[in-house]
Amino acid sequence: MTAVPERAAASRRRGAGLSAQARDRRRLTLWLLPPALWFFVFMIIPYLIMLHYSLGRMDDLRFIPDISLGNFVKIFTVEPYASVILQSAQNGLMTAVFSTLLAYPVALVMALHMKSERARFFMHILIILPWWASYLVKVYAWRTILGSSGLVNSGLLSLGAISEPLEFLLYSRFSVVLTLTYIFTPFAILSIYAQLERIPTSLIEAARNLGASDWEIFRRVILPMSLPGVLAGGVITFSLGFGDFVAPVLVGGPEDLMINNIVINLLGVSLDRPLGSAIGVVIVALAAVLLTVANWAERRTQVRV
Amino acid sequence: MRQVGSPALMWSLAGAVMAFLYLPIALVVLFSFNSGESLGLPFEGFSLRWYGEVLENRQILRAALNAFLVAIASTVVAVVFGLPTAIALDRYDFPGKSVFRRIVLLPIVLPGIITGVALLGFFVMMRIPLSLWTIILGLGTALICIVVTEVFARLQQVGRSQAEAARNLGANEIEIFFRVTLPAISSALIGAMLIAFSIALDELAITYLLTGRDNTLPMQLWSMLRRQVTPEINAIATLVVLVSLVLVTVGMVLSRGRGRRGP
Amino acid sequence: MASSIDTQDLVKAYPRRHRHETPPLAADHINLSIRAGEFVSLLGSSGCGKTTTLRMIAGLETPTSGRILEDARDITDTAPEERDMRMVFQDYALFPNLTVAQNVAFGLTLRRARRRFPGSEVKRRVGQFLEIVRMEGFADRKPHQLSGGQRQRVALARALVTEPAVVLFDEPLGALDAGLRRDMQFELKRLHSEFGTTFIYVTHDQEEALGMSDRIAVMRAGRVEQIGTPEEVYNAPVNRYVGAFMGKTNILTGSVLGPQKGHLQVRLASGADLAGTAAAAVSPGAEVGVMVRADRLAPVPDSAADSALQAKVRERLFVGAQIEYLLALPNGESLVMNRPAGEPLLETGQQVALTIGPADVRILTS
Repeated sequence: MTAVPERAAASRRRGAGLSAQARDRRRLTLWLLPPALWFFVFMIIPYLIMLHYSLGRMDDLRFIPDISLGNFVKIFTVEPYASVILQSAQNGLMTAVFSTLLAYPVALVMALHMKSERARFFMHILIILPWWASYLVKVYAWRTILGSSGLVNSGLLSLGAISEPLEFLLYSRFSVVLTLTYIFTPFAILSIYAQLERIPTSLIEAARNLGASDWEIFRRVILPMSLPGVLAGGVITFSLGFGDFVAPVLVGGPEDLMINNIVINLLGVSLDRPLGSAIGVVIVALAAVLLTVANWAERRTQVRV
Repeated sequence: MRQVGSPALMWSLAGAVMAFLYLPIALVVLFSFNSGESLGLPFEGFSLRWYGEVLENRQILRAALNAFLVAIASTVVAVVFGLPTAIALDRYDFPGKSVFRRIVLLPIVLPGIITGVALLGFFVMMRIPLSLWTIILGLGTALICIVVTEVFARLQQVGRSQAEAARNLGANEIEIFFRVTLPAISSALIGAMLIAFSIALDELAITYLLTGRDNTLPMQLWSMLRRQVTPEINAIATLVVLVSLVLVTVGMVLSRGRGRRGP
Repeated sequence: MASSIDTQDLVKAYPRRHRHETPPLAADHINLSIRAGEFVSLLGSSGCGKTTTLRMIAGLETPTSGRILEDARDITDTAPEERDMRMVFQDYALFPNLTVAQNVAFGLTLRRARRRFPGSEVKRRVGQFLEIVRMEGFADRKPHQLSGGQRQRVALARALVTEPAVVLFDEPLGALDAGLRRDMQFELKRLHSEFGTTFIYVTHDQEEALGMSDRIAVMRAGRVEQIGTPEEVYNAPVNRYVGAFMGKTNILTGSVLGPQKGHLQVRLASGADLAGTAAAAVSPGAEVGVMVRADRLAPVPDSAADSALQAKVRERLFVGAQIEYLLALPNGESLVMNRPAGEPLLETGQQVALTIGPADVRILTS
C-alpha cells in the first residue's frame, strides 16, 4: 500500500496537471471572457466616458476635463432642467399607476379564470404582441386617434356632441401619459400575472372554505400576494416612462419637453455634452437604484418580456 | 375552484383592456387600406393604393433594406455574446456574478437613449465615424439581454443532468455544447433571435443617436412623422407591425410554447 | 474489467453563505473500500450525503478534501469524462432530441471512444445492449414516447454499453411504481452477475438495498454509520439509527445486568429481563436501547416462562400477509408485533405473554 501515494502523484503529473477546480475555472473563463470583454468595451467604458464628460465643462466648443459636480448641481437647480426632471418623473409615475390599474384585471382573469394551459399561453402571446409591436407605430396610432381631425374629434363632431375639435386631446400632457400608459400596460400585465400565477389554488379554496367572500379573498389573499409583482412592474414602467422621449415629441405639447428631449437638444443643438452626459449619469444611477429596489421582489417575480 | 369575482365582470374588464391594446393598431391597419387622402375618417373605400406608393418609394425601400441588414447583424452580435453569458450564468458561480448579471440586464430597464448617449460619447472619443456599423454595435449590445433572459430561462428549465450525463459518458466541453446543450436550447435561442431581430428592426432611440449617413427604416419613419403625415405612413406602419408580429409570434411559440409542453 | 473504488476521508462542504459561517458538511470523512465486482449500496434518508458521495466518485462534484482511488490509482483530479464509470441518473437524463438507439450510442460515438468502437461495432453493440435490457423494439422511439420503466432501461443500456469498470446508480428506481421496482431489482441483480462490474447504488429504500447488495453502507448526516452485508446490517445494527432504519423495529429502554451464558442480560424499564447480543462493549448498570424486531416477537401461552414480556393488545391492523399488533407494556412503552395472517387472532384488550430468542435481541449503546 505504500506505493499508492507515489502512483497517485505520478498519475496527477500525467493528467494534464490540472485540479478539478482549475479545470472548472478554465471552462468558466472560456464562456465568460468574450462577453465580459464586450460588456466592458461597449458598456462599462462608454458609461465611464459619460461620467468623465459629466464632470467636465465646455469652453468655447472645446471640452475641458475637470472633476466638478457643477453639471449635476445645474440639473437639479437651474431651470428648465429641474422642472423637466420633475415633470418627467410625474409622467413616469402616472404611467406606472395607470398601467397597473389597467393591467390588474387582465392579469387576474388570466391567472384565476383561465383554466387551460393552452389558453393562458395564447393569452400570453396576445398580451406580448402589442408590447413588441413597433414602438413608433403605437405612438403614431394615438396621434391619428387624438388629432384635431382624428377619430375622436371627428366622431364627436359628427355626433354633434361638440362644435369644434377638442384641443386638449393631442399635444398635451394627457396625450403623453395616455400614450405611455398604452405602451407599457402589457409589461405591467405580465409582471402582475407572474405573481398571481403562483398563488396556489388550494389557498383560495381554503379561504373560501373558511367563509371568505370574493371581496375578502381578493382583499386579504390575492392583493397582498400580488404586491411584489405590482411593485416590480411599477418600478420598470416608471423607469421606462420617465426616460421616454419619443412620445413627448410626437404627441406632447411644447411644454412637454421631457428629460430626453433635453439630452437630444444638448447633443444635437447646443453641443453641451457635459450637461447631457450628466443627465445620462443621473438616469443610469436612477435605473440602477430602481433595479436594486425591485430586486427583492424580482426574486419572486421573474418577468420575461 | 380558482375563480374569484364574477366571471362576467372580470372578463368584460379584461376584454376592455385588451380592446384598448389592440384598437389603435387595428385602426392604423384599417386606414392603410383607405383609398382617400385623409388619415382618419371618413373611410372612403378599400384600396391598396398606399402600399403601391410605398413600394415605389426608393428612399423607403433603401431604408428598409438597411434596417434588415442592421437587424440581422445586431442579432448575430446578441447571440454571439448572449449565449455564452447565459451558459456562464447558468452553470457557474463566480465572484461578482450578481453585479455582472445586473450589468447584462441593465438595458432592459434603461431607456435606450442612455445606451445611445453613452455609446455616442465613446465613438466620438475613439474617433469612430457614425455609420450602420455603429448602429449594429449599439443595438447588438442592447439586445444581448434578450438572448440572455430567454436562453438562461431554458437552461434552468432543462437542468444540469443532461450535460452531466454527457460528461459522464465521456463527452468533452465542445461535444457537450454541440450535441447536448445546443439541441436543448435551440428553440429558445431561435425564439430569442426572432424577438431581437424584430426589436432591432424598429428601435428608434439608439438608432437615432448612432445613425450616420445611411438611414434605416425607423429613422425614415421618425422623420416622416415629424413632418406632415401622409397616408403612406399607414401602409408602412402596417407592414412594420405585420413583420414584427409574425416574428414575435413565431419566436414566442418556439421559445416558450414547446418548452412548456416538452417532456 | 471491474475495478475497486476506495474513498479516503472524503469531505464535501456546502458553499458558505456567510463569511463567518462554518459550512455544514454534505460528506464528512467518508471512508469506503469497495472491491472490484462488488454490489454496494449507499443507504440513507434524503440529505444524508449518499448522492453527494456518489457524485464525487463520478467526478461530477469536486471533493473539498480527501481522495478517491480506482484500483489504488488516485483519480481525485481526473476529469469526469476520463473516468471509466457510467452513471444512471435519478431522472434518467436521456437526451430528448435523440432516439433510443442514438442515446445508447452516445458514449460510443464521442471522440474519446471512436477508436475503440468503429461504426459497425457501434451498431452491433447498440443492438446487443438494447436486447440485454429488452428494449430492442424501441430503437427509433424518442424518450418522451417511453414509459418511466422503459426510460430506465434505456438509461441502463446507455451506461452499460461501453462496459465500464464501475456503474453508479443514483436512486434509479425512485420514480417507478412498486411492481416495476421489484421487476427492475431482479433485472439489475441479473445484469450485475452477468457483467461482473462494480455497482455502486444509492437508495433510500432499505428493501431495495437488502435485496440486491453484497454490502450496504448506511449513511446519516454525511457519515457512514455502518457498512456490512445485508444480514449484518439487518440483524446486528451498531446503533439505534441503523436498527430503526432497517425495518419495523422496537427500541425499548433498559439497563445492563451482566453477562450470562454467552449473552448479555438486560432488564427492561417495563420490568422483564431479556438476553441479547451487544453492538459494543458495555458495563453492568449502563442505560441501553434494546432492539426487538417486530417480526421476531411471538406470543406464548400465558402460563409459560415468567421472564417473557407481558403486554396488552391495544390495536390490531390487517396489513395483507401479516397482522400488525400495537401492544402496550406495563410501563406504558409501546411495542409493535407482526404475525403471519394465518394464526389465531389476538383481541384488543387481551393480555399476552411474548417470547423472543437472544439472537433477535440487539443491545445498542448509541
